[in-house]
Amino acid sequence: MSQPDVPGWEQISAAGTDPELLSAVVHRLARPGTGAASLLGAALERDRHATPGEAVRAIAAATQPDVTDAADLRRAWGRRGVRVALPGDPAYPERLLASWPDASLPLILAFRGDLRRLDRERTVAIVGARRATGYGKGIAAWLAEACSDAGVHVVSGGAVGIDATAHQAAIDGGTSVVLGCGHGVDYPRQHAQPRGLFGRVLEAGGALISEQLPNKPPRPGVVRARNRIVAALADAVVVVEGTTRSGSLLTASAAADRGIQVLAVPGDVKRPGSGAPHKLLAEGAAPCTSPDDLIEALGASHHRPVREAEPAAPTALPSGVHELLARRWPRPIRVDELSSVLDVPAATLLASITRARVAGEIVEGADGIRLARAPSG
Amino acid sequence: MLATVGSVALVGLEPYRVRVECSTSGGLPGFRVVGLPDSAVREAGKRVSTAIRRTKGLTAIGEISLVLNLAPAALRKSGSGYDLPMALAALAATGQLDIGLLKGVFAFGELGLDGTTRDVAGVLPVANAVQRFGGRRLVVPVRSAVEASLVDDLQIVPVADLEEAVEVLKGQRGVRHVDPVTHSSEESPPDLIDVRGQQVARRALEIAAAGGHHVLMVGPPGCGKSMLAHRLPSILPRLDLHDALEVASIHSIAGCRAPDAPLSTVPPVEEPHHSASTAGLIGGGAGVPRPGAVSLAHRGVLFLDELLEVPRNVLDALREPLESGRITLTRAEAQVRYPARVLLVAATNPCPCGHLGGSRRPCRCRPDQVDRYRSRLSGPLLDRIDLQLELRPVDRDRLIGPPDGEPSHVVARRVLAARGVAAERWGEGALVRDASPEQVRATCGSGVVERLARAMEQMGMSARGFDRSLRVARTIADLAGAETVAKEHVDEAVAYRLIDRSVAA
Repeated sequence: MSQPDVPGWEQISAAGTDPELLSAVVHRLARPGTGAASLLGAALERDRHATPGEAVRAIAAATQPDVTDAADLRRAWGRRGVRVALPGDPAYPERLLASWPDASLPLILAFRGDLRRLDRERTVAIVGARRATGYGKGIAAWLAEACSDAGVHVVSGGAVGIDATAHQAAIDGGTSVVLGCGHGVDYPRQHAQPRGLFGRVLEAGGALISEQLPNKPPRPGVVRARNRIVAALADAVVVVEGTTRSGSLLTASAAADRGIQVLAVPGDVKRPGSGAPHKLLAEGAAPCTSPDDLIEALGASHHRPVREAEPAAPTALPSGVHELLARRWPRPIRVDELSSVLDVPAATLLASITRARVAGEIVEGADGIRLARAPSG
Repeated sequence: MLATVGSVALVGLEPYRVRVECSTSGGLPGFRVVGLPDSAVREAGKRVSTAIRRTKGLTAIGEISLVLNLAPAALRKSGSGYDLPMALAALAATGQLDIGLLKGVFAFGELGLDGTTRDVAGVLPVANAVQRFGGRRLVVPVRSAVEASLVDDLQIVPVADLEEAVEVLKGQRGVRHVDPVTHSSEESPPDLIDVRGQQVARRALEIAAAGGHHVLMVGPPGCGKSMLAHRLPSILPRLDLHDALEVASIHSIAGCRAPDAPLSTVPPVEEPHHSASTAGLIGGGAGVPRPGAVSLAHRGVLFLDELLEVPRNVLDALREPLESGRITLTRAEAQVRYPARVLLVAATNPCPCGHLGGSRRPCRCRPDQVDRYRSRLSGPLLDRIDLQLELRPVDRDRLIGPPDGEPSHVVARRVLAARGVAAERWGEGALVRDASPEQVRATCGSGVVERLARAMEQMGMSARGFDRSLRVARTIADLAGAETVAKEHVDEAVAYRLIDRSVAA
């Protein structure tokens, strides 16, 4: 449970709480994600002995009645294998410090996994609606997988829908999840389960990041504040789906504020879920109609690693089904529709779909099934 | 003089032979009823003596002291069905009817003050019992005649009033003709041919019918949940005479059977509203409990729409009947057992607003709301539902297009064959639904159990549905005419476990 590599812990344990600092922190916390850096600056200016750790401790005392001192806080994080990086720590991503134009720099980054890729690699944020359509998820998977193959690190929130789909598709390349809550909150529930998305992200070498204290619940303000971190961690932001009130728009505007390129995937004009990308397109975002658009925007190479024998891999699907899914890709198709279009009995289809799912060949969602990977050629 | 007329007391579906004995006695004039009558039966004395006084050709019995005993005295009698036998016994006791004419005669029916007869619920099981008790003739109200005549080897004497009853028994008038009822009615339930698209749901219904598996359908309004549920009887095997009589008897007791309805061999469908009480669903009520929807759906389909709107305690009450195929209702008055072997078809919306995945209106629910809503789809009752599927609305074009699926009789043939295979393996009437995990595993090919375990693991499914999936696979194999369960059968079976599957990404 020791945290030898995080500077500031000694001070946290040693320092007393300055009442003035405390009240300033409480005041600032009323608006999450704002003013932490200037607060730190002010604290350090006024008192040379004040440390970032003191601010953390002050926040802890002010916001978490059950976490009254730094040791408690350290235990709460440590229990979950969470490490903490403060601005200026080696683990704290350089690009956050470098690109932050305002005073809302995340004061603390509590993280599991590895943050170093965020500085070493090109990054893209693929964000969008929680209530995503099969089309949106298909596109998100397509983009994320291609980016991952091209060596681009994928960043997104931890929500269901587009975020989760992007992480899932790029998982082998390692992705960074920026949580909309503190560590220790099982949100979204299915992702926090032992076999859920978050566990798999960590297993594959990705990272789970939160600027919140442990057990901070996912309040709307907290989730919105999270979006600015997603944007700041990316070289480009692509919005896949979302209504005109979507949080993805916040991510996009945070990106635009920092001079980070924003792309949007056009959608069905009749769907409310196309509101956010279309609004961004109207405001001058670049259209993203294929991974190539995205990879070009990032200036990454189109290098695609050759997957062994993939085109020749035997398919578990009956003839015709694979072809139809490939033609549809990345849009999903429902089993009922497959059955009547191809005149294959539902029984046969369902059995083969199970085999294909087990083999990882297809993905099944509420809107039907689609191929798990982009069809070759 | 002592006169005896037979009748029947029903405790639930269980018939008891009752002897209605009447004798003149000393003491004050009047009509005393003994033998544990309830108030409706006690009041029968007033009705009977008035009916006799008002009937032409009969002498009033009001001035005579009569005692009327319903034997066995320990059994509580209720209802107004004893009016007719009491009147006949009283007439015989007062010498207005030869006692010899009442030999082998049973009667069941209510009397009006003017002597006309009124039908009473439960005639069919009564007639059935009279035949079993060796009765010769059963005197019933005219309106009950058709129902009573569904029973073979028993002469039904339909009477419009007390006068007719007396005249027929005396041989002064012929027995009224009862139109014979067709045992196997020609009626046909709604047909699967009406369903457009929904290939997966059709297949699931076929499996449900073949193995007796309960079904859960999740889908937005208008996607055809109710339509499909009401078409399930059309692919279930027709009821044989014994089962048809049993079903009709339950409906008769509940009083929800048209008295002149033919005997239906189509499995019944019951669709209780989600606001139904426990009593309405599983049976109950004052005095001797009456059958509820789960018994009315005996040997048929119980369709529970809006499953998540049904209160938890009501759902929990369904567990016993689903487990044992019958329901025991215990009251201070009586313990009653009704059969309740049903095929449960439950349906629910996909999300709180109901429109998720529908095409009519966009869904307004947040994913976590949908999550929470779905998480309520668990628990002991849901654990008993083998087949779970998600339905989507069918495209308009397809809806108005030509039929694109098989008619019911084609599916029904396969269902019947599959049931035959199961019966051959596990004995007459055995359903795969009721097979134990060991029984099913014993019929699995090599590697099949492992295959299922791997598929479920890979697909992130919880293990609690393991044996349910294996059971469904057994039915799929039966439908395919396969002796052992093969890998392709479990592959298909896994597809019907909506609840256990991760809805992620």
